[in-house]
Amino acid sequence: MALTKEIRFNDETMALVQRMMKRYPEGKHKSALIPILHIAQAEFDGWLSPEVMDYVASVMKIQPIEVYEVASFYSMFNLKPVGKCLIEVCRTSSCWLLGAEDVIRHLEKKLNIKVGETSADGMFTLKTVECLGSCGTAPMMQVGADYYENLNLEKVDQLVSRFKAEGKRKSYTDQPEPRSL
Amino acid sequence: MSKIAYIDNQPFEMKDGETILSFIKRNSGEDLVPTLCDAPNLDPYGACRVCSVDVALKSDGPVKAQASCHTPVMEGSYIFPSTPRITKLRKNIVELVLTDHPLDCLTCEVNNNCELQTVAAKVGIRDVRYPAGKNHLDKKKDLSHPYMTSDFSKCINCARCVRACDEVQGQFVLSMAGRGFDSHIIKGMNTTFNESDCVSCGACAQACPTSAISDVFESKSVVPQEKVRTVCTYCGVGCNLDVAVADNKVKSIQAPFDADVNEGHTCLKGRYAFSFYDHPDRLREPMIKKNGKFEEVSWDEAYDFIASRFTEIKKTYGPDYIAGISSARCTNEENYLMQKFMRVVIGTNNIDSCARVCHSPTAIGMQRTFGTGAATNSIIDLQYTDCMMVIGANPTASHPVTGAKMKQVAMKGKTLIIIDPRKTELTKYAQFHLQLRPGTNAAVLNMMLYYIIKEGLEDKAFIESRTEGYEEFKKEILALNIPELEKVSGVDRNLVRDAAVAYASAKNAMSFHGLGVTEHSQGTFTVMLIADLAMITGNIGRRGVGVNPLRGQNNVQGAADMGCQPYQGAGYLDLKDPEVISKYELFYKSPFPKEIGYKIPEMYDASLNDRLKAVWIIGEDLVQTDPNTHHVKKALEKLDLLIVQELFMSETAKMAHVILPGASFLEKSGTFTNGERRIQRVNKVVDPVGNTKADGQIIVDLMNKMGYPEPDYDPAVQLKEISGIVPFFKGVKWEELGINGKQWPVLEDGSDTEILHLDTFKRGKGKFIHNAFKETAEIVDHGKEFPYIITTVRELEHYNSGVMTRRTRNSRILKEDVLLINPEDARKNSIGDGELVTVESARGEIVIKAKISDEMKSGVMSTTFHFPEIMMNVITSSISDSEAKCPEYKVVACRIRKK
Ligand code: SF4
Ligand code: SF4
Ligand code: SF4
Ligand code: FES
Ligand code: FES
Repeated sequence: MALTKEIRFNDETMALVQRMMKRYPEGKHKSALIPILHIAQAEFDGWLSPEVMDYVASVMKIQPIEVYEVASFYSMFNLKPVGKCLIEVCRTSSCWLLGAEDVIRHLEKKLNIKVGETSADGMFTLKTVECLGSCGTAPMMQVGADYYENLNLEKVDQLVSRFKAEGKRKSYTDQPEPRSL
Repeated sequence: MSKIAYIDNQPFEMKDGETILSFIKRNSGEDLVPTLCDAPNLDPYGACRVCSVDVALKSDGPVKAQASCHTPVMEGSYIFPSTPRITKLRKNIVELVLTDHPLDCLTCEVNNNCELQTVAAKVGIRDVRYPAGKNHLDKKKDLSHPYMTSDFSKCINCARCVRACDEVQGQFVLSMAGRGFDSHIIKGMNTTFNESDCVSCGACAQACPTSAISDVFESKSVVPQEKVRTVCTYCGVGCNLDVAVADNKVKSIQAPFDADVNEGHTCLKGRYAFSFYDHPDRLREPMIKKNGKFEEVSWDEAYDFIASRFTEIKKTYGPDYIAGISSARCTNEENYLMQKFMRVVIGTNNIDSCARVCHSPTAIGMQRTFGTGAATNSIIDLQYTDCMMVIGANPTASHPVTGAKMKQVAMKGKTLIIIDPRKTELTKYAQFHLQLRPGTNAAVLNMMLYYIIKEGLEDKAFIESRTEGYEEFKKEILALNIPELEKVSGVDRNLVRDAAVAYASAKNAMSFHGLGVTEHSQGTFTVMLIADLAMITGNIGRRGVGVNPLRGQNNVQGAADMGCQPYQGAGYLDLKDPEVISKYELFYKSPFPKEIGYKIPEMYDASLNDRLKAVWIIGEDLVQTDPNTHHVKKALEKLDLLIVQELFMSETAKMAHVILPGASFLEKSGTFTNGERRIQRVNKVVDPVGNTKADGQIIVDLMNKMGYPEPDYDPAVQLKEISGIVPFFKGVKWEELGINGKQWPVLEDGSDTEILHLDTFKRGKGKFIHNAFKETAEIVDHGKEFPYIITTVRELEHYNSGVMTRRTRNSRILKEDVLLINPEDARKNSIGDGELVTVESARGEIVIKAKISDEMKSGVMSTTFHFPEIMMNVITSSISDSEAKCPEYKVVACRIRKK
């Protein structure tokens, strides 16, 4: 999938990236790699293409492969293109007991994709994940920076329609929505 | 007081910082503890745990299993390397590894030479008890690359390959990706060897304990009849090679870990580019040109022909109408014999070698300032230096093993200063890159000297006690016109100042220079300026400092040492000195020529002016590699007798009257002297192919034909003679050179020398001689008409004229010469990437493919000269260094247009 824009941080982002590197003692700025990768992922269509990783390496003055080994280790970095909303449904014990599987089946049917796939319109990717530490409000899922908790099928339908209507890309680095309990 | 630890309750003295593994190896034998992820040339890592041992604080205290390879020994601890508990643990670990390993040992390429197999046998595995589970056995092989191969179904995730690529070569091609069960080795961004940035050094293949990473020669698998240790024939690093031979054929080459020079590493030329030696193109028979066509003749016919022609020419015109060009690719003994032939048998000092076109200015420049024209220090000094200054050299391509070491040193945080018109690979690791315009080295170095004095950073004590001529020198430096020098060189003066301060204030600073210094009209003067920088900052005579020319060819140091130069005999004795002449006469019991002979460029002029009639060239392709091809060809065409001794039908050989087929380095013995003055043994690996002979034997045969009795070529015999006349070879004996050779001067008692000029210089005091910057005539005369500058360079994959490397798989990696051109210049001339460009200089023009790259600054272009198709030297000039006559390959004024 071709990227929608040139691989280059804008001035503001670049300043943020530089600040992050300066948080660490000289010669140890590599430690800023993970937060910077999050920024890059958010900036460049929600995934880290080899070109994006090369770019991050050049900005940080480290070897490209040092970026790749980190990115490939953590499941929150996507090495393949994803839809605008990456829906991550928890499938660990608490959520599972309280109906995670129904949620997953329902989403599969509704979006007409299997777990791990992206919908034809490029809007949604469905993924299952392990416990997100929100067992008290199971079943739950994460999209971008937000948790959606105490799910049932209607709630899932509403959320999907809402995301579709908004048509916005969701990232981990977004400002979380105000919580309404 | 010495510290003690115990192995099986027996006390042993321990060394500080030592690991448990090395402690056990030292005291209880190499093979007691099995290992998998540990490797002799890599840092301890601790991935496999096979090396576990029990450790207790008291003899009968509770024990804990520790991975011995990366755990330091603790004082007073009790180590039990092979208790039943530990052996069971090891066995279980290996058994688990084997559950995810194809058990097809019998058909595996490394069968019988696999570390996993050995360790499994050692820990006593008969069968694997675990049922087959999830595994990686269906991984695909990677056969994309001309040399490197992989089959990750055999991978045990020990990460030795990753560490070899990072810690030895510094290339960062390999890594471990994924996690847990999914951990796997990747190349680049998960591509193939061929698509990655791999430089085919083979370090990973040699490090891999299984066949998961290997090479097309299956180097680890070859169970040879014999392994012969010898020295690489390509560059002046002088890597030791372990050559596997079976049935008189070279099977593969590995790098010995106990080699001081390369410590288990090589580049792709040394390790993989050997198949030229029995290539069908090898010249196999002597040939004489009859009616314009080469005809195979017997050795006797060739010798008779040559001997009678030489005798005739000598009689008709005199000995000075004959000249010899010896080869820096040949052994010391052969070079020695060649100069002896010319001087004693023919009776002329017309003997030169290809050192002329590379480091002759270094020899002269350093002789004038220090008294000795050789590297002052050793490569091992990189471990002790705080600052490296690399001038006009691209070590990662031209001296790859040294280049790789420099990268490691720079990555450990040592200062790196690069003075070079190109963005070489090393510039990525450098604090300072002074990207000057080609031909202005002297300007930048003068500026550096100026700032060192201005900032008061000179080493006054050193200058006072060890040098002369400083006051005069200082006056001239302080009078320099800095803005003018800044303008001509194009380097910001503040950057020059900062670099000068970094060099001068480092505790130990080491300089390295290459042909980007010498191949200029001011080559010798530039070398002297580099020496001045070392003296003014006191960086001479201890570890981690000095002036270190990166000698180009494997034995360019030796060719000069042996006297293959027209003004100095064997051992650099000056032929202008009558006492020297009588010394040689006494030694050779024969009259000795007194006239200084021709340097190579002077031979061309002599031929064109009818003052030279015969030339015998050994192993040098003048037509392709010497500058101004048209001029060279005309001069060679005019000769009555041109003898070319070669491996292949080179461009020069095509013009010969007689061709003598020489033997390659794999087919003969002798010694090469590397760039750090290390005389190392070259050992014959296979018999000469076809009807070829060692170059030394050919010279001896001709000596005998011409009536001079000389024993057959045998390095031990010739070395004995050499040690009698070359002062710094005094204690060199063939049998005593050992596996790592000796660094000259070798004293009579056999002791050698790592660092020169410890307390005094060879010439007594170091001499400051100021040399101002002077624009080359090439720019002054042609700069207006030809506004661009082209500079010649080399690439990693090929060696000079490429006659050898082009006949190996290296030519699949790099297929052609290209013109590197800056994007801005390309745009201005409407040249696209990959398009053909005509490059024209005052001498001629060539057509070459453009490669757009920001390696070069605007206004400057570069190209290689590895392929005869381009004949780059059609456009280079006959201008040469004012002192040494080394040609100015590095500055050619030209103009370009799209073809
Ligand atoms: S051959 Fe050398 S450069 Fe290539 S991957 Fe192996 S170690 Fe790295
Ligand atoms: S490829 Fe070889 S060296 Fe690399 S991790 Fe696998 S087994 Fe170890
Ligand atoms: S670095 Fe030089 S001496 Fe060593 S293997 Fe490569 S070409 Fe040969
Ligand atoms: S099990 Fe789903 S959030 Fe913990
Ligand atoms: S050899 Fe020690 S952990 Fe592998």
